[in-house]
Amino acid sequence: MLDDLFALAQAKPVMPSDDLMARILADADAVQVAAPAPTQSIWAGFFDIIGGWPSVGGLAMAGVTGVWFGIAPPATVTTFAADLIGTDVTVDLLADSSSYFAETLTDG
Amino acid sequence: MNAFMGSWRDAPDDAVLVAYASGDGSAAQVLSQRLVPRVLAQAKRMLADRAEAEDVAQEAMMRLWKIAPDWRQGEAQVSTWLYRVVANLCTDRLRKRRSLSLDDIAEPADPQKSAVAQMLETSRLTALADALAQLPDRQAQAVSLRHLEGLSNPEIATIMDISLRSVESLTARGKRALTDILAGRRAELGYEDE
Repeated sequence: MLDDLFALAQAKPVMPSDDLMARILADADAVQVAAPAPTQSIWAGFFDIIGGWPSVGGLAMAGVTGVWFGIAPPATVTTFAADLIGTDVTVDLLADSSSYFAETLTDG
Repeated sequence: MNAFMGSWRDAPDDAVLVAYASGDGSAAQVLSQRLVPRVLAQAKRMLADRAEAEDVAQEAMMRLWKIAPDWRQGEAQVSTWLYRVVANLCTDRLRKRRSLSLDDIAEPADPQKSAVAQMLETSRLTALADALAQLPDRQAQAVSLRHLEGLSNPEIATIMDISLRSVESLTARGKRALTDILAGRRAELGYEDE
């Protein structure tokens, strides 16, 4: 009798209904949406923290501008610094060394 | 969608599961089409109740979706994991069913069969599920995996995470207990003259 019951249970075909499949796929979508985003790189996380690529562009522009102001400051900046600090100091880093190199080359 | 599903056709279950966890939109459909029929069939064979089996199938698949981000590819088989989850969910329900009457878990009629044949078949399947409900959980799981799912003892040992000797012991004791439980219902189930 028991083997007959086992055989009967095994013989019964069971196919999932469309409704069951729809419910299961809806669950899958809900869990997938709720799950945290896949792990990202350290750089991607850093860029997100500072505001993304637009912020990185702004930082780069500010850096270039600062370097340019250091090399060739506009007159208004020099005047403003003199007014603020009360003195105006100009340091020429290249003049002497240029002539030194010129002499060395001439003598050599 | 079909083009995406075709790309997963030959991929192992765990690879598709990892793709699902990574956000692949078609992976869930591929896994559902592969796994739900077997999950539902296992639950239906243990519970002899379509509605309950569908609930178990949905719950088992929900657990699969939730565990997907933590799934370590290559370490375990999705099918093995699902056999275990479904067996556990079914024995939970069988345990709760012990206090219910058989009428509460009657199977809806199949219009293709005569009323008498349908009633007899339903009675037999329900009697089997009812008898399984009276076994200790581990025995019910081992017996159902061996005699309803047709799995080998080594497969059952892997699914239940026990030794081969334990599988043999559980299935033997479970089968003897089932025979004893059902012995008093032979006439009722139409086996009296065999």
